[in-house]
Amino acid sequence: MISILNFGMGNIRSVQKALDYLGIESQVIKSEKQILESRKLIIPGVGSFRLAMENINNKKLFYPLNKVVLEKKIPTLGICLGMQLMAEESEEDGVTQGFSWIKGKIKKFQGEKFKIKVPHVGFNDVFFEKNNKKLYSGLGEKSHYYYVHSYRISYNECDCVSGWTMYGEKFVASIEKENIFGVQFHPEKSQSNGLIMLKNFAEL
Amino acid sequence: MLKSRLIFTLLMKNGSYQLSRNFNLQDVGGLNWIKKFYNFNAIAFSIDELIVVNVERGEKNVDLFCENLLTLNENCFMPIAAGGGIRSMDHAYKILNSGADKIIVNTPLVTQPKLVRSLVQTFGSQCVIASIDFKKYDDGKIEVFIDNGSKKIDQSLEEAVKNAHNLGCGEIYLTSMEQDGTGYGYDLNTLKHVVSISNLPVITSGGAGKYEHFVEGIQRAGASAVSTANLFNFIADGLIEVRETMIQKGLEMAYWDLGFYKTLK
Repeated sequence: MISILNFGMGNIRSVQKALDYLGIESQVIKSEKQILESRKLIIPGVGSFRLAMENINNKKLFYPLNKVVLEKKIPTLGICLGMQLMAEESEEDGVTQGFSWIKGKIKKFQGEKFKIKVPHVGFNDVFFEKNNKKLYSGLGEKSHYYYVHSYRISYNECDCVSGWTMYGEKFVASIEKENIFGVQFHPEKSQSNGLIMLKNFAEL
Repeated sequence: MLKSRLIFTLLMKNGSYQLSRNFNLQDVGGLNWIKKFYNFNAIAFSIDELIVVNVERGEKNVDLFCENLLTLNENCFMPIAAGGGIRSMDHAYKILNSGADKIIVNTPLVTQPKLVRSLVQTFGSQCVIASIDFKKYDDGKIEVFIDNGSKKIDQSLEEAVKNAHNLGCGEIYLTSMEQDGTGYGYDLNTLKHVVSISNLPVITSGGAGKYEHFVEGIQRAGASAVSTANLFNFIADGLIEVRETMIQKGLEMAYWDLGFYKTLK
């Protein structure tokens, strides 16, 4: 049973729909008690980092999340904003502290410097690192995933990269650190490439 | 590298799906037909993105459209854009809550620019697609239309493109009313012109009838995405073959294993 955390930042239904399609049992959760009872967790989310942290803090979810992720070490997957929250801080809309489960700061793509359009929208190549790639089992050395975001973690700033993408610069597509997983792209919007990845997570 | 996109567009009117030629509609079938007999799943697994447009004339039934959208996207694991008849924030929320990732606006670009700005502010640029319908005459003159192509507006095509930028939209969905449903190919000259004056990705629509047309839209005119709304031209494995043709011709396209879906159901 996978718990999908609903903390008011959208995108819950498409994640659950993908798990349903794969025949994987899931439940949408929102309380402290439900987090503490979870055995496997997905933290989805689209939208503003600041608003997301406000919601987490107002609902007093940070303590139980730390408890299950850092102490009980349950497998946890952050998707898009959900992955960003795992990092140290974000400069979106003023500087906001994140969970600090992984190293890295969230900064905006430098559109003018690299002559790229921001937001970064569409399918792009994700190259897998040699180690740390449990989520990409069965997908070869690279795959294509759907992105829609303006903020990213720079490749060199992170110590647990499991996949990277080139968009003007090299940035972190995904992270893996023990039981903690995160993807900047949207597996639930990436056709079978994303479904395979979600299945891998479910089978951990 | 960021990939080019192949998009399928469904046109819906009063719960029934439509074939359009020069914006004249013909009923083809309801939701059941689309899901069961049209083998929509096979199509949904072979495209990068789905667009669903409510093409009902006059005041549109947003609730019925949303019901359809919910059922349609059950087995869709790609981004979905939907619109047609969005006249309020409430409409946009309804559509986004029915499984759409982006919304499409056409008439409000001209009649309700404030609404478009609010949509952009609330949901972000990447969430709002500006749909521009144009007609090109034999003498080369171009006019822009709103209200399902029924009402000519004072803006030139260049002004309409600029307006989409100014309002903060994230993409342009450009439709040639003259090419629509003909199968003669996209209006490449106009498309190329719009791409050249736009900082936003341009999705081209109207006229695709052969596999090569999709390739031309990207290679010759520079579109970011190519779409077809023709329910019959690319039936069965048609869109899979379009995709293969695009890859063979050297376009960067996303790849995924279609066989995976067969292992599930």
